[in-house]
Amino acid sequence: SNYDPRRVCLNPFPEFTLGKHRRTVGVYLAGALFALAQWTFLDAAILSKHAKAPWGEPDTPAPVHVTFVDWIPGICSLLGFLVVNLIDKDRIRGDEGFGDSRAVWRARLFLFIGFALMAGGLAGSITVLILKYILNEYPEQFTYYGYANVSQNVALMLSAIVLWIAQSGSSEYEYNLTL
Amino acid sequence: MAAGLKSKSKTKSKVLLLRSVAAVILLSFVLAVGFLMIILSCALYQNWLPLLVALIFVLAPLPNAIFSHCGADDFAGSYENSSGPVDLGRFITAMIVVTGFALPIVLAHSAVITPGSCAMSIIGGGLVYGTILTYSQAFKQEDSEYD
Repeated sequence: SNYDPRRVCLNPFPEFTLGKHRRTVGVYLAGALFALAQWTFLDAAILSKHAKAPWGEPDTPAPVHVTFVDWIPGICSLLGFLVVNLIDKDRIRGDEGFGDSRAVWRARLFLFIGFALMAGGLAGSITVLILKYILNEYPEQFTYYGYANVSQNVALMLSAIVLWIAQSGSSEYEYNLTL
Repeated sequence: MAAGLKSKSKTKSKVLLLRSVAAVILLSFVLAVGFLMIILSCALYQNWLPLLVALIFVLAPLPNAIFSHCGADDFAGSYENSSGPVDLGRFITAMIVVTGFALPIVLAHSAVITPGSCAMSIIGGGLVYGTILTYSQAFKQEDSEYD
């Protein structure tokens, strides 16, 4: 009965019972995850900048560094994060009185683009991990860069999901309250 | 009778005042210890990068403070004042707090600062931020008590 075929993002998550602070906690958590994502990758980048040699053999130079290729998935995810969160949640639900149907369609298109960018970032980070680090069989010290990249994108996606749940959960409540 | 009541309320307010003064002194002591830890973490190792941690933690409550007056909604008010700007302030605050903890770890990981300096600056930053949080919380309670 709750199912509406026009809804794109019907979230299957159960209602959390954090009480009235659900939204606050969710937003704080999303911010923390966001910063964690960026710092995970920046850690790899700074480490790569300071890495002079593999462990144990101080004369050989480091075989691989974090280059611009490693930055691309994170940038894609960041753009997707911004796009997803800049969309007004009420537009997507397509309630009457929120502009014409074209506006709803456009909002859903941009939501799709945002999620596609985030998924593309995640896929790209895994691609970089495999193609650049695992297949070349670098020591563990250097594959860490790839793993950091993947965890950056995973954390960004988690952050977007948490923020979405936190904000959409209580908007319905507000909607009930205003009517 | 009336005089007794009056003196009773007087002593009560006196006790309240004393308690709040004691709390303020304790908090300022903890704050000083926090700053001491951060400055020691810099000075003992002749590397002044961890001083950034103090700056970050002092800046942390700023977005919350700025944005908290933005979204005064007539409807949502009493339960949870949540709107776009307020959420943005909370998001940025959480980001800055995590940055404050992550920066020394990252610096220590790439051997810019020593692990001891990292631990000291994290503890000091936690004390500073905890003090700020407790202080603002105490003031909020007093506000709600008297209105």
